[in-house]
Amino acid sequence: MTEKRIPHTDLGRFLDRLRERGAVYAPARDEAGDVALTEAPSSEPVVLEYRNFRLSPKAFLLPQNQTLLRFKNGKAEQPDLPDQETFLFGVRPCDARALLALDEVFLGGDQHDPYYERLRAKTVVIVLACTRPMASCFCTSVGGGPGDGAGADVLATGLEADLLLRAQTPRGEELLSSVADLLADATPDAIEEAEERIRAAEDQIAPVKVDNSAQRLRDAYDSPLWEAASQKCLGCGTCSFLCPTCHCFDITDEVRGGTGRRVRTWDCCAYPLFTLHASGHNPRPTPKERWRQRIMHKFRYAVETFDRLFCVGCGRCIRNCPVSMDLRTVLKEVGA
Amino acid sequence: MTPSHEIEARLRETAEELLREKRVDLFLGYEKASLPFRTAPLFLTSPEEVKRLAWNPFCTTNLAVYLPRLFKAPADARAAKAAPPPPTVGVVLKGCDTLSVVALIQERQVPREKLVLVGVACPGMVDRRKAERALGEHQALGAGEDAHGNVHVVVEDGTELTLPREEIVADVCLECRRPTPSIHDALLGAPVEAKAPDAAQRRTADFESKGLSARWEHLQKTLSKCIRCNACRQACPMCYCKDCLLDQTRPRWVGASTDISDVTIYHLLRAFHMAGRCTDCGACARACPMGIDTRLLVRKSTQLVEDLYGYRAGEAIDATPPLSAFATDDPQDFLTEP
Repeated sequence: MTEKRIPHTDLGRFLDRLRERGAVYAPARDEAGDVALTEAPSSEPVVLEYRNFRLSPKAFLLPQNQTLLRFKNGKAEQPDLPDQETFLFGVRPCDARALLALDEVFLGGDQHDPYYERLRAKTVVIVLACTRPMASCFCTSVGGGPGDGAGADVLATGLEADLLLRAQTPRGEELLSSVADLLADATPDAIEEAEERIRAAEDQIAPVKVDNSAQRLRDAYDSPLWEAASQKCLGCGTCSFLCPTCHCFDITDEVRGGTGRRVRTWDCCAYPLFTLHASGHNPRPTPKERWRQRIMHKFRYAVETFDRLFCVGCGRCIRNCPVSMDLRTVLKEVGA
Repeated sequence: MTPSHEIEARLRETAEELLREKRVDLFLGYEKASLPFRTAPLFLTSPEEVKRLAWNPFCTTNLAVYLPRLFKAPADARAAKAAPPPPTVGVVLKGCDTLSVVALIQERQVPREKLVLVGVACPGMVDRRKAERALGEHQALGAGEDAHGNVHVVVEDGTELTLPREEIVADVCLECRRPTPSIHDALLGAPVEAKAPDAAQRRTADFESKGLSARWEHLQKTLSKCIRCNACRQACPMCYCKDCLLDQTRPRWVGASTDISDVTIYHLLRAFHMAGRCTDCGACARACPMGIDTRLLVRKSTQLVEDLYGYRAGEAIDATPPLSAFATDDPQDFLTEP
């Protein structure tokens, strides 16, 4: 594994080199004061001080609306898949780990999703280790951590004067060697400083018990707690749409005359329409069944199918729920 | 201003009495949430649990949103016959929330006789995003109300800070026209006067005074953040339709994508459907995870109805909403020849 160092002052040059190869999205502050992944010109200073982005980066790989085909007078054609490389700089470890969950769904079986596959192949992820977790964060309980590089190509850790860069994949190795002239070797001091910073971040994250969640949720399927826990759910899609691992989608044909497109759009299990049958029957008729599905999918079905939790502990659903629902409370109640 | 802890104590007494004497089957209030600057809606059925009830500067949710679904009869005739009788519900309401309940009663979505309205005179609730921004680099571990009605915060390193209430109160509260509930079966807290009852109107006029292209540009810019999660619709007490136009798929009237045309249509439709019905409680703007000012368009449609018919939704329980009635002398200057 290549371990290198780059001074903060050279970060702009580093990103400029990536810009020569493709589109570069880096953290920048918007008018409202939020830091978001932005395709900013190189003159913009890179922001390194932020907690996490409001939106997860999943839309780079699974766009909220994606044209699958276009058709005209009975003939269909697949749109050109993107050819350009995209570099995501500053993704947090939780969100990069979520890509492993998406990989299972779209690349794991014998049927590869060509749209996701192409975007994944063309997207290079540079993670920035997390030093400022929030009260809603619990990555360390679901297999991740503030210094986790899983799902990313390069793991960067911010130090006093430098960024420590560690390649995580062959693509990450290639990336670091392509900018080798900008990099210095990592020193033992730098590595120790990085470890200290990550340990300090880990200490700030309160644990949530998720051991054996699949079995516990199997046992709790008919528990009255689902009814009580879901009463206040408004049935909006905030939790799913902000979730870095939620990936359910709907497919619609937009037709005008003989011309149109088939489009894939994000969908959400909190919506009554999600499971409404053509007959009018709905197997998940109330918020109880829908909220249970959300938890079961992430902490039981995904474990049974992929041996992986489909929650990375980013806390977006907790921070943004309009009625303060907190899935940690449910996990506690089922003893998961 | 009555201190929150006094109101909280009276609220618990009131709820306990209502539940114990079986005057209500269900009591809707607030409880402490897992994160600071927030509360969660609480559904209480047992008098033993009233200690969970909270009243503090973070009781933002408009609980009226839960009422229509409690009284909605099943669409299927057989299921409707077998359905239990409608419950009697006690509910905690701020001044703004009461307007929603009045509008729902007028639109016959909730029966007045099945409701026990526990009104609270509200000094304005905290906008959690403003509070979080005011803390800057700090992270709150806990927050509460101090003796002066300001917000007292303990942050990650144990430091204690005070955030002046008026600096972190929600915009919608700064523009509130009715802090004290107009109708109620019990009223907690000393009545609070509206500070700037014309502020919302002024903001609408300000926006209107900009040129067409500036307005359009502003709308496109703010709406382009929309992720179509439906939080604004779901948080709105007045969005109770069994089948929303936006969910219909045969045909699909409105595209589900985040293309700017679909997003704009979505928000315009919401504004149209709210004309003469929106009480400007701000639930939509609070729910929006993207920080969009979802009130802007709706406020204009509300203002139009007020200008034309002198009507504000939720103000008088015996008034007839103008869009539910017809009079031969209705103003119709806005009608144009095709």
